[in-house]
Amino acid sequence: MALPPPDPQFVLRGTGAAVHTLHFSCGNQEPDVPILFSGSENGFIHVWNLKTHRVDKTLDGHGGSSVYCVETMGGKNRLLSQGRDQRICLWDLAEGRTSVTNSVFTENVGFCRCALLKVAQGRWLMAMAAKAPEEVQVLELPSKTSVCTLKPEVGAKLGMPMCLKLWQHNCDSQPLLLAGYEDGSVVLWNLSMGKALSQLVCHQEPVMSLDFDSEKEKGISGSSEKVLSIWSLNEQQNLQVYKTQKLVNAGISDITIRPDKKILATAGWDHRIRIFGWKKLKPLAVLDYHTATVHCVSFSDHRNPCERLLAAGSKDHRISIWSIYTQT
Amino acid sequence: MAVFDTPQEAFGALRPVCVQLTRAQTMENVARLQAHLAAVSTSALQELQEYVLFPLRFALKVPGPKQERLVQSVVQCISSVLAATCVKKRELLQELFSELCTCLSPPSSSSKPAARSEELKLAVIQALHTLMHSTYGDVILSLYQPSTLPLLGFAVSLLLGLAEQEKAKQIKISALKCLQVLVLQCDCQGHRHLDEDEAQQCGDLFASFLPGISITLSRVITGDIKQGHKPTVSAIRLFYLIVGLVMADTQLARIPKNKEKLPVEQSRISELMVHRGPDWSKSTAEKLSLLLHKMVEFSSVHPHWKVRLELVELVHHLLRNCSQSLVGSFSHLLKALVGLVNDENSEVQSRCNEVLQGIAEQRVVAQNRALADVLSENLHSLATALPRLMNSQDDTGKVSTLSLLLGYLKLLGPKINIVLNSISHLHRLSKALMQVLELDVTDVKIVEDRRWGCESTCGPSGSLQHAMLKGRCQKKYFRFFTEEKVFQLLQQVCRVLGYYGNLYLLVDHFMGLYSESGMYRKQAAMALNELIAGAAGLGVDVLQEREVLPNMDDLKGSIMSILDEYTDQANWYLITSIDTEEIIHEPSVQHSGLSAHPGGTCSSVLLPSAEPHVTTHIMNSNIWQICIQLEGVGCFAAVLGKEFRLLLLSALYPVLEKAGDKTLLISETALGTLVDICEACGYDSVQCLINENSDYLVNGISLNLRQLAHQPHASQVLDTMLRHSDASLLPLVEDVIQDVLSTLDQSYNNQASTFLRVLHSVMTALDEIPPLAKPEPNSDTEGETPLPSHAQLAKDVMERCIHLLSDGNLRVRLKVLDVLELCVTVLHPHGNHLLPMAHRVWPALVTRLISDDPLAVLRAFKVLCTLAQKCGDFLRQRFSKDVLPKLTSSLLSQAPASARAGPVYNHTLAFKLQLAVLEGLGSLCEKLDMGENDLNKVADACLIYLSAKQPTKLQEAAQSVFLHLMHVDPDSTWLLLNEVCCPHQYEPPHISLRPVKLSGMGRQRNEFTDNVLLLLERLKQQESAPPWAGAQEASPP
Repeated sequence: MALPPPDPQFVLRGTGAAVHTLHFSCGNQEPDVPILFSGSENGFIHVWNLKTHRVDKTLDGHGGSSVYCVETMGGKNRLLSQGRDQRICLWDLAEGRTSVTNSVFTENVGFCRCALLKVAQGRWLMAMAAKAPEEVQVLELPSKTSVCTLKPEVGAKLGMPMCLKLWQHNCDSQPLLLAGYEDGSVVLWNLSMGKALSQLVCHQEPVMSLDFDSEKEKGISGSSEKVLSIWSLNEQQNLQVYKTQKLVNAGISDITIRPDKKILATAGWDHRIRIFGWKKLKPLAVLDYHTATVHCVSFSDHRNPCERLLAAGSKDHRISIWSIYTQT
Repeated sequence: MAVFDTPQEAFGALRPVCVQLTRAQTMENVARLQAHLAAVSTSALQELQEYVLFPLRFALKVPGPKQERLVQSVVQCISSVLAATCVKKRELLQELFSELCTCLSPPSSSSKPAARSEELKLAVIQALHTLMHSTYGDVILSLYQPSTLPLLGFAVSLLLGLAEQEKAKQIKISALKCLQVLVLQCDCQGHRHLDEDEAQQCGDLFASFLPGISITLSRVITGDIKQGHKPTVSAIRLFYLIVGLVMADTQLARIPKNKEKLPVEQSRISELMVHRGPDWSKSTAEKLSLLLHKMVEFSSVHPHWKVRLELVELVHHLLRNCSQSLVGSFSHLLKALVGLVNDENSEVQSRCNEVLQGIAEQRVVAQNRALADVLSENLHSLATALPRLMNSQDDTGKVSTLSLLLGYLKLLGPKINIVLNSISHLHRLSKALMQVLELDVTDVKIVEDRRWGCESTCGPSGSLQHAMLKGRCQKKYFRFFTEEKVFQLLQQVCRVLGYYGNLYLLVDHFMGLYSESGMYRKQAAMALNELIAGAAGLGVDVLQEREVLPNMDDLKGSIMSILDEYTDQANWYLITSIDTEEIIHEPSVQHSGLSAHPGGTCSSVLLPSAEPHVTTHIMNSNIWQICIQLEGVGCFAAVLGKEFRLLLLSALYPVLEKAGDKTLLISETALGTLVDICEACGYDSVQCLINENSDYLVNGISLNLRQLAHQPHASQVLDTMLRHSDASLLPLVEDVIQDVLSTLDQSYNNQASTFLRVLHSVMTALDEIPPLAKPEPNSDTEGETPLPSHAQLAKDVMERCIHLLSDGNLRVRLKVLDVLELCVTVLHPHGNHLLPMAHRVWPALVTRLISDDPLAVLRAFKVLCTLAQKCGDFLRQRFSKDVLPKLTSSLLSQAPASARAGPVYNHTLAFKLQLAVLEGLGSLCEKLDMGENDLNKVADACLIYLSAKQPTKLQEAAQSVFLHLMHVDPDSTWLLLNEVCCPHQYEPPHISLRPVKLSGMGRQRNEFTDNVLLLLERLKQQESAPPWAGAQEASPP
């Protein structure tokens, strides 16, 4: 008999608003405590201490506008946050500081989360939706110099970019960008040439989220439909459909492949988190706890595998923490 | 006041008497000399010492039999000379020594001791004593040469003989004292300190006497108790002094391998000399061990405390000097020492403690592996015998046995680990503890004492304080002892183990016992709690500080693993009652052979397969197990202090679960634990503790609500939270109450009763919220303004009440009515929300009023009254249309029956219903402000119940209705009553007015008269009293 679905290990309460984004920072050694950043609709970023399960710090940098993307840039002291105030803020959190050291004005009104890629020590590439609809701009951080602007061909009618993923085959190779668009297609961009390498229509509806496994050169995307689309990259750098996975209920807000590339988690509009095997997309578990749409899922980067966690943030103001590593 | 200061003068004075004595040895002459001596100065006498001594010694040496009394006076005279002078010549010393001894020696012919007078013996002993004291320095050492061995030996055996065989106490004591001087161990100051070599030499000499001395002394020591304590004390003292000298570790270490060759002329003497080599010391130690054993056995129970005190000194002295040579004896010696810690005499006790402290401080045991072995051997044999002793001994015996055990452990100190590392030692020790700590679980009261009435009264805070205080020291009853001291000793044993022992090893071992068998579980938990306290150094009484302080992380690790075990489902959720209500609502306890029932799959782990026959003993035992585990949590908190805050994440929820337990003992203990946690973690009060950790609790509640089997516990926790905290919790709690409600929606059948308790607590808490967020009383916009969250909650709860109002279980219905009333109160300020709800509640409420159990009827009336305050208009119509006709008609139709009925009627349902309606109706009429028509209906229906034929209770209830009616409409009530019976004639104030004619006038006294008169009297009072006074006395008498 199958085991009953697990309960959350813990539920974090107190954001006071819908939770839109989560990011773990657990890689540091003791006595540093593992940390979870959450960004919520009321514009606050909460820094959760995962030992006490309480908020250590609350950051207020987006003037009350929803925060929908939080990332760290090497360690828990450098934080990037993106809010609906059209700003991307860079935070210095070292030694108890809570100051915004730098910020980028995106002039974009969409929901597209920015993407980050470390290219060298202290040098990052950041892709973000630009002012002009359909365009994606890539900047180098922290210098903020523009690397390129990716414009679709005239008449492509991709619509706005919805989700982005920067990646490279290995450290030396060219960084590439995967972007999901409003019309349901996923496009692979070459940054140095500034042109699209391949385009694949994965969905009939806007792509809500995508993630990519650069080892297997395989990606997955979700939309408001009842289906997950899995696609791969062939030798000619062409995107092709690999498989589609039917869902019981429609609507996926977030997809994350676990860092060990064994499983993936989806955040569903049906209030549920679903876990699939990455290899064959075998459904493994349905985590049912939330009472509203789940907005984001995130895996922790803890050194000790048995302390790694899955976190999900929901419209019901709660963040559920799950320990699913031991069971899969 | 010497008369003769110079030697010349003195000589002149003494010469005649000396000459005379030399010529004739008579008592008179001796006495004369003695008399003259007093007049001679000390310095002069010193010059003339030998001169004066000569006639005296001569007197002793005269051959032939001598008069005993003469000898005695001569000896006394010698004594007085010696007392005033110094012996400066070796020859003189030896000769005098020998001459004095000869006085008591038996005639050469017979071997029997000469029969001498006691006075003489005493005089000789004292003379010898004085001689030894008047000789100084090197001179005296001349007596301690191999060549003088025979002479010494003679003296020793002489004195021993006296000490042993004399009857007179004085002689015995003097002989022993003298011997003590003789072996150069005099107590008094002023003797020359022997250097190492000299001491060694003396040791060599005395070794020859050791067998004789030790055997004789042991006989004296173990001799007749009638000899008094003083000889015994002296003998013990002498014994350890001489043994301590001869067997001194330092001396034995310096003994050369082979015997030293003495010059040829002393070869005979050399044969007498003992070589204290390893063989000798080994065999001597064995023999001494036997003697010591006997002595210790005897004197440790000696009735006189000074003997026992001296025994302590003996152990002390030997342990200090002979811890290696006499290692074989320490088993007995330490046993005696440790046993005397609890001596009835405080001086013995304190000296004993001092000695133990000294031993520990000097690390005698720590540095002496052999001694540690002896101790651990003792411990082992004691542990082996412990279970038997605990079974057979009375409490006093147990106290001494356990003090012994504790003493061993304390003495071992850090070396305890030697014992613990041996599996068999640890095994025996722990098994013995398990056996002794067995609780008495026969008390039925423990199971019966329930925490009732939690729903009705939260109790004044005083009683809560009381419960908390009580919870911190629950008295336990043990199967094998009653004395509190025994338990304290057991506690100390465990704590000392924890203090010195390897914590990992101990925790692991006792955790093993904990999970090994239910038989040991409670004891093992008790031991674990004390071990941890001991490891942290809490409340532990030790002799020496440990070298290594405990690592806080290790301690925390151990505590966390114990906590995990304690709060594991199998150990935390035990059957503690066979409360029918609980059984009905906990599916896993159903006595069914059916294997599958809803929720069974996820709750199967929860309760160990339900035993149909859970005995009281098992439940009692379970209760204690939970309490001990709760005490453990409190203890761990105390150990970790503020660090424990991190563990609250997992530990607080289970404790709160138990604070809401229905078994009194458990809930009290849990409250005590909460107080402990507060103190340890630095919270001001339990309320602070709960408030500041409500996030952890809410998390636990929310997660546990997801599982059917855990729902009762989760609601218990919420209940306890609300009970012990205030409205400040509500923002966070509101979140989880939505969970409660949605869970309730899914399981009306099973859990209604449990959840209603929570809802009741919630609503009570909401009710207490100060009306801070009172909306503007603007009736136009009220509908649109969103409800404050707590009112929204009340509305949500009320929604559920509608469904539950018609529940099949009366208890549930009653509870629902209570909750409903609270909901109404909370929703009061929000009429636009309350009215629709009231509308929806109405049908179900009507059913309660007109066709339910009397209890429910009464409560339904109460709810109606509360409702009436806000939605009077709405209710008035509904009530007069839907309810009143039915109530009045049933009252009217039942009245004849109750009027006829006998006393048994009071127990019928019909009676109770009548009573409930009558009791409720009055206040409702008043609250609803009902119209005249309806009031008349009520009055008509109730009037017949004023009949004296009705049961008294119904009459009283009917009176109450009229009392209420008087408030609403005094005039018509007056009229109505007067129609029945009118006591007065009302004369019109003016003849032009027609006389008042009331139908009650002039009637015969009838069944209504008494009650009506009573009511009219009350009415009169009410009317004459100031209005406010009347208003306050609204309730019926």
